[in-house]
Amino acid sequence: MPLLEMKQITKAFSGVYANEDVNLSVEAGEIHALLGENGAGKTTLMNILFGIYQADRGEIYYEGKKVAFASPRDAIDQGIGMVHQHFSLVRKMTVLDNIILGLESRASVLDRKSAAARVRELAEKYGLSVNPDSRVSDLSVGEQQRVEILKVLYRNVNLLILDEPTGVLTPQETEKFFDILRKLKAEGHGIIIITHRLAEIMAISDRVTILRDGKAVSRLVTAQTTPEELSAHMIGRELKKDSRQRERFLPEEMLSLEDVSLTTRRRKKKALSHISLSVHKGEILGIAGVEGNGQKELAEVITGIRKNYKGTMTWNGENLAGVSVKDRFRKGISYISDDRHSDSLIMDMSVTDNLILRDFDRSPYSRHGVLDHKKADEWAAQALEHFKIKTSGTTGIRTLVKLMSGGNQQKVILAREITDQAGLIVASQPTRGLDIGATEFVHQQLIKQKQQGKSVILISADLDELLSLSDRIAVMFAGKIVGILDREEADVFKIGLLMGGVTGQEESGSAGPGPGGPAAQGREGQKGGGAA
Amino acid sequence: MLEQIFTLTFMTAFLAAAVRMAVPLAYAAMGELIAEKSGILNIGMEGVMLAGAFFSFAGAFFTGSIFLGLVCGILGGVAVSMVHGVLSIHLAKDQSVSGISLNIFALGVTSFLYKLMSSGDTYKQIDPLSRMRIPVLADIPLVGSALFEQDIMTYVLYFLVAGIAWFYAKTSLGLSFAAIGENPRAADAAGIPVHKYQYIAMVLNGILGGVGGAYLVLVQVGNFTENMTSGRGYIALAAVILGRYVPGGILAASFLFGAANALQIRLQAVGVPLPPQALAMLPYVITLAALLTSIGKNQKPEALSRPYVRGAR
Amino acid sequence: MKENRRDRLIENACIAAITLVTATVLVILSGASPVEACQMFFKGIFGNLNGFGEVFVKATPLILTGLGCSVAFRTGFFNIGAEGQFYMGALTSTWVALNLTGVPGPLRMVLAILTGFVTGGLWALIAAMMKARFDISEIIVTIMLNYIGINLLGIAVRTFLMDPAGSIPQSAKLDASVTLVRFLKPTRIHTGIFLAVAAVVFVWFLMEKTTAGYEIRAVGFNQRGAACNGISVVKNIILSAALSGGLAGIAGAVEVLGVQKKLLEGISGGCGYTAILISLLAVNRPFGVLVTAILFAALSVGANSMQRQMGIPAAIVDFLIGMIVLLILGRELFRRKAGRREGK
Repeated sequence: MPLLEMKQITKAFSGVYANEDVNLSVEAGEIHALLGENGAGKTTLMNILFGIYQADRGEIYYEGKKVAFASPRDAIDQGIGMVHQHFSLVRKMTVLDNIILGLESRASVLDRKSAAARVRELAEKYGLSVNPDSRVSDLSVGEQQRVEILKVLYRNVNLLILDEPTGVLTPQETEKFFDILRKLKAEGHGIIIITHRLAEIMAISDRVTILRDGKAVSRLVTAQTTPEELSAHMIGRELKKDSRQRERFLPEEMLSLEDVSLTTRRRKKKALSHISLSVHKGEILGIAGVEGNGQKELAEVITGIRKNYKGTMTWNGENLAGVSVKDRFRKGISYISDDRHSDSLIMDMSVTDNLILRDFDRSPYSRHGVLDHKKADEWAAQALEHFKIKTSGTTGIRTLVKLMSGGNQQKVILAREITDQAGLIVASQPTRGLDIGATEFVHQQLIKQKQQGKSVILISADLDELLSLSDRIAVMFAGKIVGILDREEADVFKIGLLMGGVTGQEESGSAGPGPGGPAAQGREGQKGGGAA
Repeated sequence: MLEQIFTLTFMTAFLAAAVRMAVPLAYAAMGELIAEKSGILNIGMEGVMLAGAFFSFAGAFFTGSIFLGLVCGILGGVAVSMVHGVLSIHLAKDQSVSGISLNIFALGVTSFLYKLMSSGDTYKQIDPLSRMRIPVLADIPLVGSALFEQDIMTYVLYFLVAGIAWFYAKTSLGLSFAAIGENPRAADAAGIPVHKYQYIAMVLNGILGGVGGAYLVLVQVGNFTENMTSGRGYIALAAVILGRYVPGGILAASFLFGAANALQIRLQAVGVPLPPQALAMLPYVITLAALLTSIGKNQKPEALSRPYVRGAR
Repeated sequence: MKENRRDRLIENACIAAITLVTATVLVILSGASPVEACQMFFKGIFGNLNGFGEVFVKATPLILTGLGCSVAFRTGFFNIGAEGQFYMGALTSTWVALNLTGVPGPLRMVLAILTGFVTGGLWALIAAMMKARFDISEIIVTIMLNYIGINLLGIAVRTFLMDPAGSIPQSAKLDASVTLVRFLKPTRIHTGIFLAVAAVVFVWFLMEKTTAGYEIRAVGFNQRGAACNGISVVKNIILSAALSGGLAGIAGAVEVLGVQKKLLEGISGGCGYTAILISLLAVNRPFGVLVTAILFAALSVGANSMQRQMGIPAAIVDFLIGMIVLLILGRELFRRKAGRREGK
């Protein structure tokens, strides 16, 4: 009898399936990996298991009994523990308080002494060294993770869910962490580990379930598979190389980054570490990588939203140090953000207002501080036609952007950012959430830029997209560029391995390249400040 | 001039007045602390206090019992804080908008009802709560009578502050209540019923704010006047910030603000040749100055005034 | 879309019904007959020219302060200090009107109003700077500044601005040449109403037609998005706060120059707080503020008439308006599937 069986789990969010008829079974004493690209439905599945979401359909059997968890409390009571990708720790409290949070019977006085003793004992047993009296905010990310695991172990769980647990660890920490998992496994715990790192799956798991587009596409025994096979299953299709003939880019360097590093305020760890990169005239440079490995920070450093980077960055021969967002745009650096609702659009404003967001304060839209709505409207009408932006029939260019479809919202951004004066388009996940038609449109626009001798940085999680559009592909991992591949030599397997942190030099062993800093800042900082 | 002011008699009377002025602030600030620790910012504390003041007065006036007056005051306070609770917890509304609107609403309600009550034109007054002298302790020079020749509600406050400090520091439930305001997602993941506890916190917020308002009527003056809280609810909010979210610190901050108030009253009584308004301004100026000193030591709960919706990022 | 509109209709109907029922109950509680009260209410407003004029007299400061609040709320700066800004404006403009005797009357009047604008703006700026620099809650700061402003005015009318000929705490009467003209005697309507309407048009123009207004709107809707596109968040918050305080300051100046003709305590009549509700009800739209403020003024004129004639406390207006704002805030509660929220 398996420890856990999830049968035909289906869950949709506003009509879109996040999970569709997913089956998963985990044995006691097994480490079961859940593999898939971003948005494949891994986290949703685990949130259903843990009682955070309720499945629309499907059944869960735990220790042979049918169960339904209405809240995390129920799951915990049954012996299931989860370590979330974003840690659930109270930063201002001590390690011990975090571990015993919500645990002791309601009105009781805390017995911190014996709790601390038990924590020490567990820590000793599994090699999770951490001082129970430290404040969580003083701990490194690796230590925080140990706290999360201690928290789960303290609750006597039998099944442990780990969501992207190594994303924030250094290779050394990852090794230690795997030792802990092996000990837990030896004691008969079931472990589900969500990850996208192929090397780790090979190193630690017994079986793998691969999700793609919300469906479980295959289940493999780790010992009988290879990273290449896993990668192929995850991506799921023969990648067609774009057959379109393309002229090679010109030799002029337009943008160049030399030894650029960025430290984010929140955790004081490097989000970008010693990045050197150049983009040429007429080049589309693809940036591959699992989300949260510094891509967003890279885009924001280039566009000027994040200001306090170290290193030099030049555009068109001019040093960009101290140049504001606005001036960078006027010098030709455009930005299509991956978070269009928050970064690129003012959702409560009209199409016209959003179209002039970059240029509202200069001619022809502004004369002595007064907006020329007529000029703006003319431009908007033109943009609607040229970019085939569909608005509501009655309000036209006055339609609020929040009432439009994602594809049309994206077209508004394209119309604003891809102008004649643009020289470099930084496009981050520009086709995410768009339908095929809109995606094709975006691709055409980007290629057109290249043909006009402009430069494009294309950040994407979609390898198809990168391979068909890019001249070169740089792969980011843990805030670093771990490899730059030419279009001719690039293929999905090579990129997949690099994304998983397997570099050429280190065929075996460590899961990551060098002593690189954790990549967690990317995830942490995405919504946060840095700009304000 | 100065010698006349800072005599022992003056200081003794001043300290006693300072404590009396601080008590309602401290009650309200404790209520606000509990709410804010659970992530709910109740700008509407002014309204809670005002409702507490009015309904305690009405209750005491009609029943003739100070105790029943206090109960009415508490109910009034809870009614106001629960409106804020529903708007900010259940409906996830902007807590500042809700709080401010509540204050103005409470002002309108109490003014209207008071006008109704006093339409007979007789001057309404109740007998305030009498003091209880605690034998030996009250004989300590200077501070004795200030601390131990007060009313029972002052003594209750001493235990309350200690109790709240103990609750957050030593009990499992206290840990849970504090975790919600810091990281509701973590609290939820640890199995703590976030919204339920937030409602409980809001009830306590209403009770303590109501007591604070009632104290103004039942102990300090014995009658009600329109807008009699005159910003005390906001000063209580400042006391929480200045007291750095620790019960003891908040008590000290309340005492500071109470002292500012007492000082102006005593100075007026002594007859300092300044317009009374110059002195009346003192508590507000000191509050502003105190806020400036709290710069950079921001201890506020990380998730304060951010509604928690499960599953939302 | 259709479903949505029906929901709103149901909600509005609920709010209206609750308000009407409450109003009726309150009138009955006051010992009056609702029908009679209703008659008296409208008679107070439309019964004679004086009453009708009073609506606009009362509306003038409400429009200006309400407008002020709306400008600040637009950027998310919660300025609840219109009351204090009003007082500071009234105080300094009185000083200018009384003391700059070398300047000819009409010019002095203009100067006085400008002074009111500047001091009101500065008063709000204190809070804006404390918020922008030190992240101190503007709500607490503006409230404290309200009480400080009120007391400063109290000091002024007892000391340097006190009427030397009198013994009551108020200033000397202003020279007729510096006051705003009453153009529709016998009513008290004065030219300040034009100033208020002009301010509405100005704010509308600023917000909708200028680049400065565009920035303020963008920051108010989405601070992060504005910053990502090169618009300074701090600058716009400070700007809107100062303008907001300035408008409240003008309100104070106009009340002195147009209605009271001298400075005295309690001169605002609490309109700085009412302004917050007006702005919330008008969803921060300039013309919405204009209409709401006039309606509000009419309500209070009608309520005053009920108070005079039938002894119904005029505070009934504050009671009901406060309730309406809260009901609107909580309108989802009236939806059939109330309370079901999906995470965004």
